[in-house]
Amino acid sequence: MVSSLVLFLLNTFIAYVAASSDYYERLLIRPLPQSSVLTSFNFRSNESADAFEHQNFRYFPRSLGQILQHAGTKELHLRFALGRWDAESWGQRPWNGAREGGTGVELWAWVEAQSEEEAFARWLTLTNALSGLFCASLNFIDATKTIRPVMTFQPEGYHANSSNLHLLHGTLPHEVVCTENLTPFLKLLPCKGKAGISSLLNGHKLFDASWQTMSIDVRPMCGPGGGDCTLEMEQTVDMVLDIDRSKRPRDNPIPRPLPIEEIECDTSKGYNGGDTCYPLDKSEEPAWNLTEIFGQPLKGACPLTEQSGEGSMTVCINTPPERILQVNTTGQYEEAKLASDTVRCYKLPTGADFDLVLPQQRMTTGLVLTGPQLFAARSINGHGQERGSVQAVIKNPSSHSVEFVYLESLPWFMKPYLHTLRARVDNSLENPVKETYYRPAVDRKRGTHLELRMIIPPASTLTLTYDFDKAILRYTEYPPDANRGFDVAPAVIRLINPGSSDNKGIYLRTTSLLLPLPTPDFSMPYNVIILTSTVMALGFGNIFNLLVRRFVGIDEVQAGGAGGLQGVLRGKIDSLKALFGRG
Amino acid sequence: MALISTLLALRKDARLLKIPPYLSALCIIVGVVWLLVLPLQEYSRNTYVSENALLPGQVHTYFTGSEHNIFRAYRHEVASLGDRTTQERNQRLGDILRSSNLKVATQKYSYATSGRNISDENVYAILQGPRADATEAIVLIAAWRNMDNEINHSGVALVLTLARYFKRWSLWSKDIIILISGDSTSGPQAWVDAYHNSHNPETIESLSIKSGALQGAIAIDYPAGPWGHRYDKLHIVYDGVNGQLANLDLFNTAVSVASGQMGIGCTLQRMWKHDDSYKERLQTMLRGMISQGVGHASGPHSSFIPYHVDAITLQTVGDGWHDEMSLGRTVESLFRSLNNLLEHLHQSFFFYLLLHANRFVSIGTYLPSAMLIAVNFSITSIALWVASGRAGKIPNPASTVPPATPGEKSTSSITTKTPMTVAKKDGMIALIPTALLQTNERALFLPLAFVLATHFLGLLPLYIFNNTHSSYLDLTFTIVALLSTLLPHLTAFSLKRFSRPTEQETILIQCFSLLLLGMFLAALATLNFSLSVLIGIATSPLTFIRSTKNKPVSGALSLLLAVLNPMVIIRGATFYFGQDIMSVLVKAAEGWHVWGLWTQVVVWLVWWPAWFAGSVVVSGGLFA
Repeated sequence: MVSSLVLFLLNTFIAYVAASSDYYERLLIRPLPQSSVLTSFNFRSNESADAFEHQNFRYFPRSLGQILQHAGTKELHLRFALGRWDAESWGQRPWNGAREGGTGVELWAWVEAQSEEEAFARWLTLTNALSGLFCASLNFIDATKTIRPVMTFQPEGYHANSSNLHLLHGTLPHEVVCTENLTPFLKLLPCKGKAGISSLLNGHKLFDASWQTMSIDVRPMCGPGGGDCTLEMEQTVDMVLDIDRSKRPRDNPIPRPLPIEEIECDTSKGYNGGDTCYPLDKSEEPAWNLTEIFGQPLKGACPLTEQSGEGSMTVCINTPPERILQVNTTGQYEEAKLASDTVRCYKLPTGADFDLVLPQQRMTTGLVLTGPQLFAARSINGHGQERGSVQAVIKNPSSHSVEFVYLESLPWFMKPYLHTLRARVDNSLENPVKETYYRPAVDRKRGTHLELRMIIPPASTLTLTYDFDKAILRYTEYPPDANRGFDVAPAVIRLINPGSSDNKGIYLRTTSLLLPLPTPDFSMPYNVIILTSTVMALGFGNIFNLLVRRFVGIDEVQAGGAGGLQGVLRGKIDSLKALFGRG
Repeated sequence: MALISTLLALRKDARLLKIPPYLSALCIIVGVVWLLVLPLQEYSRNTYVSENALLPGQVHTYFTGSEHNIFRAYRHEVASLGDRTTQERNQRLGDILRSSNLKVATQKYSYATSGRNISDENVYAILQGPRADATEAIVLIAAWRNMDNEINHSGVALVLTLARYFKRWSLWSKDIIILISGDSTSGPQAWVDAYHNSHNPETIESLSIKSGALQGAIAIDYPAGPWGHRYDKLHIVYDGVNGQLANLDLFNTAVSVASGQMGIGCTLQRMWKHDDSYKERLQTMLRGMISQGVGHASGPHSSFIPYHVDAITLQTVGDGWHDEMSLGRTVESLFRSLNNLLEHLHQSFFFYLLLHANRFVSIGTYLPSAMLIAVNFSITSIALWVASGRAGKIPNPASTVPPATPGEKSTSSITTKTPMTVAKKDGMIALIPTALLQTNERALFLPLAFVLATHFLGLLPLYIFNNTHSSYLDLTFTIVALLSTLLPHLTAFSLKRFSRPTEQETILIQCFSLLLLGMFLAALATLNFSLSVLIGIATSPLTFIRSTKNKPVSGALSLLLAVLNPMVIIRGATFYFGQDIMSVLVKAAEGWHVWGLWTQVVVWLVWWPAWFAGSVVVSGGLFA
């Protein structure tokens, strides 16, 4: 509870600080159970709307700014994500899930346009331009991967004229996020990873994290009354590092078995001996420091940050007060304690390396983690090439009912049957689905878009299932790794919290799914079979034609059919006549 | 035109009708010989890894050193759980897995078959791959009790140690699921059914945590006790339920890692000694075929294969110098290979016969033998159909040979005995036996009804054997065997009371019965080759039996068919392989209710009706 309060306080004072300065950055470190550590990097650059209109860029990157202007984009959210957040062990998501995306790449934006067609054309411009900027396959977000969500996303910024704004949303679940996406991300920062907290961001460690997400959010912010507008760009990097794994040096990353002397054995076991050792859990908090887990030192403060006040405290760590912290630097630094000493913040020295050292320590107070409001898991059931079903299990551990929107964006080759949609709550007979928005797929044109507004009662589990058919693709539509299966984008869940004034919202996402489709055998025999079958079909058709067709001149055809039903009847009558005539 | 009329004339040629039995016999002989030449060097191939991504044995393995100490400790822990209740056992196993920071869950299951109640509990853990996004998973299984009902001490301990060791690696691109099932067959079946949500939630608990699509499964069977046992070879078991097989690439990877990288010999189909001679290759192949034909679950991996999850079991056998760590390193290397996979295993063969750890025959080479055996029934069936449309034997009017029997000699002269028709055309006159010009109506109702009824009658024993309490199974088997021996004679006798079936109907009964048998076996050959061959060979005499009025011949044929009774063959086979008929029947019922085994359906609805129809045909001669 204490730490949730801490996080809340932190978030509010960040928001306060952000509004007052043009560039702001902060690293928040939180140790998690099982020797993991969550590091949240947050960078914000503001540009006044006026300066932005006149292409006068200071902190806002010109490359991105010009793309936004060209594509008429008023608000942009771009996410790169890898791995999954382990909500059971790690608790609530950073930023309440508002700054994370589904596995792969996710992009949504409010585009200004007069018509839907124009909006889509601008959307394509945007995705293609961003694709080049971030070295990601964003250009593959075409009509089949684009949806227009209705309830799930709300604009975060201030839009004076929202009637001609169009929200478009696209995902690439199969996109593998890697260093080539990090480099352009860092280039957008004013200090470009050379100084300040961004100097810690190293591709080797970032992409070895158990979970990581990078986000870019651009939104217009205005003062009360709609005046004094600025364009705010927020970049965040959140990752959960495994301390043991991150501490391994880059030249020797193999987790060889430790020498037996370094393993703590349970000597109370009867069989304990020289060759037998029951390993004990490490009860102590592991030792680590920033340089070790990030693989490179923090090279002092970014000179563009504020020199005094809260904004200058750019590194914060959220631990119980008893955790020993040592600062290792040659320069001048300042320390501030916040939120009853559970958050310690540091003002970095300029031009000198800074390091935080945490020694091994046996803790008396455990980590306090707030549990998430919902747990969600989704999986594909059934087997075979023809059909399957999707099952989403959403758990509400809290003591109050939760209302949420569930968004599915399915590829066109996965054809759900809406009449099979069942939502059951384990301890209630009431239908939890309150509102449904469904836009069916059109083959090769667009995917399925399904949004459900549901209510889950307290301490209960909601199971959502629906059946689907698997389409058979044309053989040119298969990717080179057809037998891997096809990725289905994660479902997005947005909690509707009427009391919250925060316009970012509370989100969580399920993992993506792997959908195996019927796949032809793409090997050489397959090609031989289709070729010979074609040749045989052609040959058979010709010969069959010759055998069964009688070719006659048009003048030889008898007028008034001798054949057909009439002919048959006449034949019968004739034979009857003959019969009676004879008798 | 000339060609067609020649062909049409040939259709009536009596010589043509003599060919089918010889053709059928030739098909059977070629089919069997085909099978026998497969083990020769020229007809089999060396195995090879077809999927390039697997790269078997290309990685260093590091499962050594202090891991051995931990393994020994875990083995002591496992040994101390031997006499505990399932609940306590799984609690402790779950704790050990939890201490390695894995997500642990349990699954209760219970099945009721043959009046028994199979119930136990699975415990499983998911290692979330650091590079994985929960879309794919590979499974590491150690059943608590192996197929011989021994406690899998070292296997379970090894899996626990490997789980702890794997957790430290950051290279896993797929989740790893550690499954410790209650037993070797129903436990994994309950788990994999629940994983794909095709279980009955009333008796089998749903899984509380899941991961992505399963890409492969490796089971370890190493029952050595707390003080260990050094083994000689790895026995790789690859048969799935209903004779489905794991992808050959998985088997090849296991062989290549174990023998190539670790220097552990590999063996299969319980061929403890195999010097790659013709005889031993043949023996391996036949054992493989019998195992495939029976279609039973041969290990914890078997239940995975029907779900298109390739799986094998590694079993330690013999006394040698290989220790648990080398088995651990083999599994480590295998998992590294599976981890490399970009696509589901699809490159290599799913239909194959193995002759040796690195020699195999692919479907294209062996399939003709089963097809030939199946075709022999179809040929005879067509011949019988043609024969049924002909009115008895017509003497050759042009024959100069006097009738064979002296009695007929006195009545002599063909023209007086055989009615002839005079045909005139284009100023020419021909004498044709009238019988040749008459069409013979086929009475189809009784044969069709009889054959259909016979096939439906098979449902009765199918139901009885799958739903009888195990204590009565032995008695039931004896009664059903007796009944099924007597039933053809009773049927033939009672039919004769109504002077049925006529000679033509008898032929048609046999014709339809063989036609169905031929078609079933040809279709079955593409699904379960071995079962098709085994049944084809056991029913091959049905091609050659004919209804005859000669009583001694009928008696001899009846005796032959009594021996070929499916129940007698099953009894004989169980005796030959030293099995107890009771346990076979109990397993079969378990297979029906738990594993989804289809062998009984083939036995009772394909094999038994064919035998029954044949027996009735022969037995009809006794009561003529």
